[in-house]
Amino acid sequence: MTLRPGQRKFTLTAHVTFSVGWLGAVAGFLVLAVAGLTSQNAQTVRAAYLSMELTGWYLIVPLSVASLLTGLIQSLGTTWGLFRHYWVLIKLLMNLLASVLLLLHMQPISRIAAVAAATTLSNTDLRGVRIQLVADAGAALALLLVAVALSVYKPRGWTRYGRRKQREERAALQP
Amino acid sequence: MTDVPPPLNSDDDIAGTPRWVKVFGIIVIILVVLFAILHLTGHGLGGHAS
Repeated sequence: MTLRPGQRKFTLTAHVTFSVGWLGAVAGFLVLAVAGLTSQNAQTVRAAYLSMELTGWYLIVPLSVASLLTGLIQSLGTTWGLFRHYWVLIKLLMNLLASVLLLLHMQPISRIAAVAAATTLSNTDLRGVRIQLVADAGAALALLLVAVALSVYKPRGWTRYGRRKQREERAALQP
Repeated sequence: MTDVPPPLNSDDDIAGTPRWVKVFGIIVIILVVLFAILHLTGHGLGGHAS
């Protein structure tokens, strides 16, 4: 499957939009997580965790899935391939890891949002989870920044599979 | 991904795993080990159950 130039531009635009949107949403999520952990205002704390649940389920999760899907289409539909270049492969693994960890961590986010909606959280309530949310969001932000850098710099390096496929294709083209 | 992939003809490409991949891998291993140690020694971030 090879994308035509117009299709390639379209999927690239979609992939960049979803990926950078994901990055921005996680940055906002981190701000809310810090506010929820450190604010002395009960309403701010409650609003932060309720917003985090909404942002997580309706923005970050869809963006992560869309970024993964458009990235797969983009790599499989061009000569870059999915397993031929280290930077593409590493980005795929990072995207998968971030998406899986995100889905795993949506449960505690929903739990803390439910508690925040029902009661007033004190500084010590669910403190471990709240600190973990800050750390997770920070780690996710760092991971996505590395992914952006990889996409822009595209550091050279063929995988063993990529080198083999390239040689096979060259051999097939020679008379 | 608008650019065409570089051709497979430089010495670096043929030599095998590039240096940046090795450095990247070492950093990832250090982070994973650090994460595992923090969790195993109970100095993690509190876990999901707290």
